[in-house]
Amino acid sequence: MKNTEKRRRKNAFLDFLGTLWRTKKVAFFGLLVLVLFILVAIFADVIAPQKMENGLLASHLMDAAKPPSLEHPLGTDAMGRDLLSYMIYGARTSVILGISCTILSTVISVIIGVTSAVIGGRFDLYLQRFIDAWQCIPGMLIMLILMSIMGPGMVSMVVVLSVPGGIGGSRMIRSAAISVKDSGYCGMSKMLGGKNVWRMIHHVIPNIMPLVLMNLANSLGGTIMMESTLNFLGFGVNINTPSWGYLLTSQGRSKMYTAPWIGLAPGLAITIMVFAAAMFGDGVRDILDPRLKGGMGSFSRKKIRRIAAKYRSRKKAAEGTNG
Amino acid sequence: MGKYLVKRLLLLIPTLILVCVIVFALMRMIPGDAVDMVVYNYATNGQVITRAEAEAKLGLDKPAVTQFFIWFGNMLRGDLGNCLFRGDTVWSVIRAQLPISLELALLTFLLSLVISIPIGLYCAAHPDTISDGVIRTLSVVLASMPVFWIGTMVLVYPAVWWGFSIPLTYVSITQNFAQNMRMFLVPSLVAAVTSAGMNIRAVRTMTLEVMRQDYVRTGWAKGAGEGRVMFHHAFRNALIPVITLFGGSVAGLVGGSVVIENMFNIPGIGQQVVTALNNRDYPLAQGCTVVFAVFVMLINLVVDIAYKWCDPRVSLE
Repeated sequence: MKNTEKRRRKNAFLDFLGTLWRTKKVAFFGLLVLVLFILVAIFADVIAPQKMENGLLASHLMDAAKPPSLEHPLGTDAMGRDLLSYMIYGARTSVILGISCTILSTVISVIIGVTSAVIGGRFDLYLQRFIDAWQCIPGMLIMLILMSIMGPGMVSMVVVLSVPGGIGGSRMIRSAAISVKDSGYCGMSKMLGGKNVWRMIHHVIPNIMPLVLMNLANSLGGTIMMESTLNFLGFGVNINTPSWGYLLTSQGRSKMYTAPWIGLAPGLAITIMVFAAAMFGDGVRDILDPRLKGGMGSFSRKKIRRIAAKYRSRKKAAEGTNG
Repeated sequence: MGKYLVKRLLLLIPTLILVCVIVFALMRMIPGDAVDMVVYNYATNGQVITRAEAEAKLGLDKPAVTQFFIWFGNMLRGDLGNCLFRGDTVWSVIRAQLPISLELALLTFLLSLVISIPIGLYCAAHPDTISDGVIRTLSVVLASMPVFWIGTMVLVYPAVWWGFSIPLTYVSITQNFAQNMRMFLVPSLVAAVTSAGMNIRAVRTMTLEVMRQDYVRTGWAKGAGEGRVMFHHAFRNALIPVITLFGGSVAGLVGGSVVIENMFNIPGIGQQVVTALNNRDYPLAQGCTVVFAVFVMLINLVVDIAYKWCDPRVSLE
């Protein structure tokens, strides 16, 4: 029994990949790029030409800001570290933060949104007023303030990037959960004595799962962007942790003209990763939410004009026979 | 309409109170170095002040709830407290810098509209053609580029290639229009272009959604011209989600101004917040955040009213 369940699940995942490949080639490509980044992050210690020692990339000031060469494929940065290695370790930071924050923020959204919808009443009202007020404070500012509270570092970044996003995203989850809650089977479950928690876990959450997955896939790009922005503003990970955003602000800006590779590499890396995430997110959304599919369907202008012309000629012909 | 407006304005009050509570609570949670900093500041000026005296000076010797009500009460009277290190009142700093941030935000918003609406409509009118595909891909690429990266390149390369540089000192728009525009046009264009990436796609999707409706089909069928169908039938109805989107993007715009102002060295509130947070200047950071929040609240109100204006079917009650 357990085995078949497992196989079915695996098939569902493969099915999803197959659909992605068949219908959304670009999204599939985006997923591939993301997987590539994840692999680079996992095997950073193996592939990086210059290894990290004690959590540090050693600087060789003699080799500072060397242009790309065979020895240093992307050149070196202003502190003489191999740029390719820095970028590879930076990918690790971005991947860890991007994935963990996306998951955590979605989990927070689901918890807040579903409890608020299922419990309802006063609790829902007060919680929503709080979220209203919270939403009025620009997210960037909240993140900066939270970063000041928690201090720099990976752990605080995970919290800071996921909490505001989670609270903001709970709105969408809540409205979806309300429509599930108001449906017949949920009322039935309540009538049969199902507790709030039971209904949340067995009825509401499974039924909003497509939306949750969509949310997950869609917020990945934004999270990575936000992470690099915070690092750029200097409110990010520790300065010794390689990070693309921090590389740009600490060296890329000042060396943009004399050593453009230092500034170009992190910017390009962020762009590629966010682009891949956006493409993947779009594809997932299109598959899970058929309402949003673009295109004019059967109402294309040419077709309508053709039908209208046909109708007119037929009418004319009918008038001809009558008269 | 008037009744609705009064109701909305009244609803702003509890929201404002909640915003103040949140901001105040968050600020109190920042590890407290302010007292040390004040003591240190006095010491560098050759004065000796004990920690207790410094706390009393900052009003930190009272319970947090009392502190909140003192701050909130003063705020309602237009007094946001004194900066810890600048020797100015918070309100005077904000009053000097608010117009700068507002101008930047407004310019960015207008440029973003001017860029994204025509292009989005063009894409919606020619869906699934080559130009549509190119524009869509480009807009995703634009949305994927970090604004601080584009900004860096825009700051550096034109300066080197054509000797174009952005003025570093702020001149108000009434003093010298050309100089002011030289300073603001490039930053707001950078911000607008990056936000246009997302907006173009949204305008396209919303318009296409509307173009599937029966009344648009009727429009084509009765032989209305392209412009008439696009603007009169499709776009006007697509405006509602588009307004929601642009209204929602204002909060992001304000957040984005933090990055833009820091990068282009524009002395606005966004830059002030970062400096204040780095210096642990609570009253200033608190005041700036509240001002930003009030701005966003007002924008949300305008968006809700704009719904009514562009779709008479929307009931406001």
